[in-house]
Amino acid sequence: MIYLKALVLFLLTANICMADELLDQIHARLTKATITRGAFEQTKQLKVLRKPLISTGTFIYDKSRGIAWKTLSPVPSLLLISDTRLWTAQGEQPVPAAFGKVFQAMLGADLAQLAAAFDIAGAVRKVAWQVSLVPKDEMLKKVISRMQLSGDQELRMLEIFESNGNISTLHFQNIIHPDRLTAGEEADFAHLSP
Amino acid sequence: MRIYRPSLAALLWLLGLLTLGAAGSRALTTDWLETSFLALLPATERQPEIAQAVRRHNELINGKVICLTGADSAPQAIAHAGQLKERFEQSGLFRDIRLQVDQQAFAKRHQQLFAYRYQLLDLQTRRLLQDQPEALIGRNLERLYSPLGQLEAASLERDPLLLFSRYFNAQNPGRFTLEQGVVVVQDGDRFWALLIAGLADNKLHLDNLERLRELMDGAKGQIEAAGGELLATGMPLFTAEGSHSAQREIAIVSIGSTLGILLLLLTFRSARPLLLSCLGIAASTFAALVVSILVFGKIHILTLVFGASLIGVGIDYALHYFCNSFSSADWTPAKGLKYILLGITLDLATSLVSYASLGAPPFPLLREIAFFSVVGLVGAWATVVLLFPLLLTGFKPAHQPVMLRLTDYWQRHWPAWLLRNRIWLAPVAVAAVAGGLWQLTPRDDVRLLQSASAERLAADRKIRQLLPVKADSQFFLVSGKDLQEWHQNEQVLLAHLEILKQQGSMASYDGLSRDWPHPDMQRENYRLLKRTFHETGLLKRYMAELGFDERAIDEEQQRFEAAENSSISLIEWLEGADEARKMHWLGCDAERCVSTVSLDGIKDLAALAQLKDLRGVRWVDQATQLSSLFERYRASASILLIAAYGIVLIGLGFKFGWRNALTIIAVPVLATAVSLAMLGWFDQLFSLFNLFALLLVLGIGVDYGIFFFLAEDERSSTSLAVTLSAITTLLSFGLLAGSSTAIVHAFGFTVATGISTALLLAPLVGRHGAGTRIA
Repeated sequence: MIYLKALVLFLLTANICMADELLDQIHARLTKATITRGAFEQTKQLKVLRKPLISTGTFIYDKSRGIAWKTLSPVPSLLLISDTRLWTAQGEQPVPAAFGKVFQAMLGADLAQLAAAFDIAGAVRKVAWQVSLVPKDEMLKKVISRMQLSGDQELRMLEIFESNGNISTLHFQNIIHPDRLTAGEEADFAHLSP
Repeated sequence: MRIYRPSLAALLWLLGLLTLGAAGSRALTTDWLETSFLALLPATERQPEIAQAVRRHNELINGKVICLTGADSAPQAIAHAGQLKERFEQSGLFRDIRLQVDQQAFAKRHQQLFAYRYQLLDLQTRRLLQDQPEALIGRNLERLYSPLGQLEAASLERDPLLLFSRYFNAQNPGRFTLEQGVVVVQDGDRFWALLIAGLADNKLHLDNLERLRELMDGAKGQIEAAGGELLATGMPLFTAEGSHSAQREIAIVSIGSTLGILLLLLTFRSARPLLLSCLGIAASTFAALVVSILVFGKIHILTLVFGASLIGVGIDYALHYFCNSFSSADWTPAKGLKYILLGITLDLATSLVSYASLGAPPFPLLREIAFFSVVGLVGAWATVVLLFPLLLTGFKPAHQPVMLRLTDYWQRHWPAWLLRNRIWLAPVAVAAVAGGLWQLTPRDDVRLLQSASAERLAADRKIRQLLPVKADSQFFLVSGKDLQEWHQNEQVLLAHLEILKQQGSMASYDGLSRDWPHPDMQRENYRLLKRTFHETGLLKRYMAELGFDERAIDEEQQRFEAAENSSISLIEWLEGADEARKMHWLGCDAERCVSTVSLDGIKDLAALAQLKDLRGVRWVDQATQLSSLFERYRASASILLIAAYGIVLIGLGFKFGWRNALTIIAVPVLATAVSLAMLGWFDQLFSLFNLFALLLVLGIGVDYGIFFFLAEDERSSTSLAVTLSAITTLLSFGLLAGSSTAIVHAFGFTVATGISTALLLAPLVGRHGAGTRIA
């Protein structure tokens, strides 16, 4: 009887499992779509500042092109990330390996590549899941100590814990999967084409 | 009267050789072989300071090897690169091998320059401060609110305006990602890890090059076996391939020569002519080598290839002598020498005139080849005239070789057949030659000198597409009488380059003054910040709005004030700079300071070349310069070739009369015409180097003409000499037509067609059809 109880308890509570299995299970829950559009709210808690930096805006993910990150307030700006490039109105920058990957992987429901760059631990429930990623790369570890992701059939929240104590939290809302990009979004992505 | 004593002459020859041997024992132990492609560059005329700067620049890039290892994933690519690094380390060939970005050096650099953040502003920030300082705040907010702003946020406390992260990022642009500290480039589904290595000895010794080539081949095999890919480029690899194929070509010549030797054996049924021929060639090549090294210090591997070819004329002297022994029953070496002396001396004179003319232009390779060949030919002539009479004592072949009967039959009937059919042969030949000449197009691209494989070139192209590799041979030199003037001049150039970059003339440019402002400018930068952010209270407002507390704002203002009089000198700045940046600085001497400005992704050469008129700016374009130099020298060498023909004609005219001279010289003239026409028909490379082959055709063709003209009633032995000479030449140098190096192939092709034609035409000279006594 005790044995049965224990078994039930085990099945009901979060089942902790191996990284690959974990990712498979999350993958099974995520909506697979080529395009994902939504709104975000980002809160950055910087140690040197008394108040958090809060920004809101929209994002769009297109499997073949990358991510367009459009901040609307307080300062409107556009950020484009593809596999190999990162574009802002201020110029091109190197793609930060970890960040680009996490975004691409979560928004595109392509989790396999996460296991290569991060140590993964987490829990999966019936619908909801959460996972924590610790960079394997020593250089990256010096900047980002841990990332925490959670969601259901979509990615809902992403927290970035920086090594120096700064914390960024991103909430994603109103997620939809349209069939095609709007003309405006097409024009945005055009910055990435060589 | 016997002035000529064979033993005395031979003694003289021996003394000469011993002298050379003594000199050579010292000369040949030095490092005498030059394999670097860059050594072919002429000392830039009348611009020694440019030449010196170019030499420094070349020395700096000479030993670099750039490798990319590719795989389907970044860790796999990095693993391949790690294996490659191990191989490189074990080889002992390299001085520094860089895979991981040196994070300590990077951090140290960051720390060193961070102290000067108020003085070191990048161009964009400077412009922004000058035009609309408020906009800087907007840009900062954009960075801080970006989901990627972790690094900026980290330095916010000590650099609230983000000045330094701007400056530092501007210095390290590009689309590189670091993984495990390794630069990884992604291209579609493929990941590439970067490894850069510098040779321990960038003088590029031959045996080191061979080891490098084997090392690279082995590494490529290993990585490919593991499912990866290896791309590699760099001057040492090109040079290694070049010298490898040059060695292969020397091997081709020796195989051909061996076949020629067999033919000689069969013909004379005696080892003596064979040994003497070898002795003659060995002695003359040795003499040429030793004297050239004594004169030039170092000779280029291409000099060896072409010079040894041109000395090939020398074997004709020996063959002519040997074949003459078939001419009469009472032949003695002394008689033979008397008979051939005029012919071979005339020939030596014509060859000397034509080769010496090559030495006129100030092009190091041409001068070396000319000198090498002249010394070699004099050696060959001296060996035949001084040594052979003694060593041929008692030489008298008793048999009548099959070869002699064949060539005799041929020399009797072939001219007759030609003359019988001249009604249709002549127009056909004229049409064919005219058609070929019409299609002849010169190609002078210096890159044809490189015998790089298609694979190497493809790897080089791919690497340049993935990485912003700077153009090795195209850059600007900027100078000024002191540091300040140099800085001003370079700044003006960089401003022009920025405009051209926006117009798409090139992908990017790099110069020291872009990242290191002169101390005057550093003070100006500081004052600019003071005026725009501190005196207006803008800094206070910005920091307060962002959420800094009072204390943080005060501290920042104190830090700013404390830094008022600091500045960083170029020497200090360069000390911690990466190697690529250090390479830009060529230093100051009493008269001037000089730097280079590098470019990559060049699209519009003409627009860049126009900037050479700016003050203190020189445009250096080694490839184009050298190509145009090749073009000019091809033109002048063509004129020299024609002049050589003129001189030979005049000489022959005085000796034999104009009519006869024209007949003799018709042989090489027609051979040259046919050779050029064939180059045209087969769309072969036509450049400076074909002219060497045509000189050989002139030398040998005149030989054949003179030999037949002087043959009188000894035409059968002459025809044997000429045929043997042609066959040995074709076997050795004609075989070069099979070479994969464009210029060597062109050389071989030209020799093959020219010599064949000369052989076919020569029997028309002299009293053809005349009776011959065969002993």
